[in-house]
Amino acid sequence: MNTTDAIVSVEQVTRRFPLDHSAVTALDGLSFAIDRGEFLAISGPSGSGKSTLLNLIGCIDKPTSGRILIEGTDTSRITPSQTSVLRREKIGFVFQTFNLIPVFTAAENVEYPLLIQGLSNSERRRRVSDALANVGLSPRANHRPDLLSGGERQRVAIARAIVHRPALVLADEPTANLDTRNATQLIDLMRDLNRSLGLTFIFSTHDQRLLEHTPRIVRLTDGRIESDTLSEISSHAQVFAASVS
Amino acid sequence: MLKFLQLAFRNVFRNRRRTIMTLLMVGGGVAGLLLVGGFFAFMFRGLRESTIRNGLGHIQIFNAEHFRRDEVHVLDTGISDWQHVASNVRSADHVRGVAPRIEFYGMLSNGVKSSVFMGSAVDPDAERAMSFSPRLASGRDLAQSSSGEAEALVGTGVARSMSVKVGDGLTILAVTADGALNGIDVQIVGIANTGFKDLDDRYLRITLPSAQRLLQSDRVTNLVVGLDKTENTDAVTAALIPRLRGLSQEMTMKKWIDLAAYYKQVRTLFSGIFLFLGIIVFFMVLMASVNTLLMAMMERTREIGTMLAMGTPRPWIVTLFMLEATITGILGAAVGLIGGNLIGIALNASGLHLPPPPGLSTEMAFRVLHVPALMIGSSVMVVVSLALASILPAVRASRLQIAEALAHV
Repeated sequence: MNTTDAIVSVEQVTRRFPLDHSAVTALDGLSFAIDRGEFLAISGPSGSGKSTLLNLIGCIDKPTSGRILIEGTDTSRITPSQTSVLRREKIGFVFQTFNLIPVFTAAENVEYPLLIQGLSNSERRRRVSDALANVGLSPRANHRPDLLSGGERQRVAIARAIVHRPALVLADEPTANLDTRNATQLIDLMRDLNRSLGLTFIFSTHDQRLLEHTPRIVRLTDGRIESDTLSEISSHAQVFAASVS
Repeated sequence: MLKFLQLAFRNVFRNRRRTIMTLLMVGGGVAGLLLVGGFFAFMFRGLRESTIRNGLGHIQIFNAEHFRRDEVHVLDTGISDWQHVASNVRSADHVRGVAPRIEFYGMLSNGVKSSVFMGSAVDPDAERAMSFSPRLASGRDLAQSSSGEAEALVGTGVARSMSVKVGDGLTILAVTADGALNGIDVQIVGIANTGFKDLDDRYLRITLPSAQRLLQSDRVTNLVVGLDKTENTDAVTAALIPRLRGLSQEMTMKKWIDLAAYYKQVRTLFSGIFLFLGIIVFFMVLMASVNTLLMAMMERTREIGTMLAMGTPRPWIVTLFMLEATITGILGAAVGLIGGNLIGIALNASGLHLPPPPGLSTEMAFRVLHVPALMIGSSVMVVVSLALASILPAVRASRLQIAEALAHV
């Protein structure tokens, strides 16, 4: 993989967690790069290190050794407040359990990343409206999460992840809590956003339905890359990625 | 910021039952302080006014010598030209009246039994003009001038120990201003109840002319000044200073608070009790709130992790928790203010009375004053205690490891 256009570069990354008097190695010397506009799945069995890798790319954890570059910034060399700014501006998160703020409406949840960026009221309103339209939830804007279905909640989470126009959207098992119909709709939505907005999506999954739509799959086993494969549909993504870059 | 405030406000009501319990606890603390403090304030005011109206007055004017040396004979250090001094004082603003007094002591006798008394000679009309009338258990107050025998009021304790009643006669014996022994006969026209048992056991009140005849002097011990309002005491004292200069005798003034030793003792004691109560409420609110806020933090661990993952600055998390606690404090204070005042109104309307406290001989009315300073003070106290209580949970929340917080179940 050519790393010159890489939005994410993972270089010799190892992550060990202390356990009693020993340590568990969750990731062991991983190296790969992700280009702008890619739609990439990190797959593998439970305990293979998928979530750990996503946490490291999302700058919510630090590698024990090695380094991760986001748009050329070495995330291991920046201060906690700079890391916070990086996450706020460059990364959007989608969680397996949606993680919406329950006391906020759908629109307010989507607005939150803009709020912490300090955008003006009118700009926030405009962007929230666009983001909700992108995920097809404009009519449900004023509903609180407990009044939304699982699929709708996850779409709100996606709108929240893209509303501040991040360079990267990280999704941890985004379809794990959805039925087949909602999962399929969500996969289509993510793929559409990837294509139409040129957003880079990195997600962990072992959902075959999602993997079927994924042009590039990095398979992990015991913290190591077992395979890094491009499927037939990847050629379209590569064409698009080239046009975006 | 408004949105953030909105988030804090909604978070307060996320768990309604717990919030209601917290508000009741905080409100209960405020209401308790208002009721106890309001009752103490009523008690202080009642004690202050009864102390003043029982004869202390708002200001007393003395010959300055009175405080410099002990008297060899009665009225040695009295005021000689007291009518002139009284007329100077009477013309000042807020002065309702000026009453000359003679304080003296001696023996009482009913022909069978004798008793020591502490006497006070007064000008009954001047006293009445200032509402300084004694509280009577029976009979009537002294008359200004009586054609017949000299009149006297005695305390309930004196009447009991001497076995006398209204209409009976007594002989008063005292040492005159010249050091000789003198006596006059008086007729009891009323039995007074000062509210203080020790005083009632020694209380005697006669008219000024009777005392001057007994003591063979036209001097008075002091002039008692009555004002329209107790709150004007300081202002009038300052205004009287120039009026008392250049007289034949050097004069000095004492405010009621300087002379009311018992009032000051009671106030100090009850202020200490109230402070202790306030500290208990403060720590009660603090501890219970820390527990509640820590529970809220635990329940929202994943949500806080999500907010931090999205790039929320950690100080924002601290601010959010402190805002929530402050809102809870303000709402709790509001509940307490409303509840405390309503209970106070209900108690005042109920006409409750308390048994006589130690040293007093009459029942005490139970009233709760609505004191603005107390309302502000207790409200600020609970808001501050809630804000302080939130520091630990807020800092803990802001220091959560994001990855661990997101994995929290």
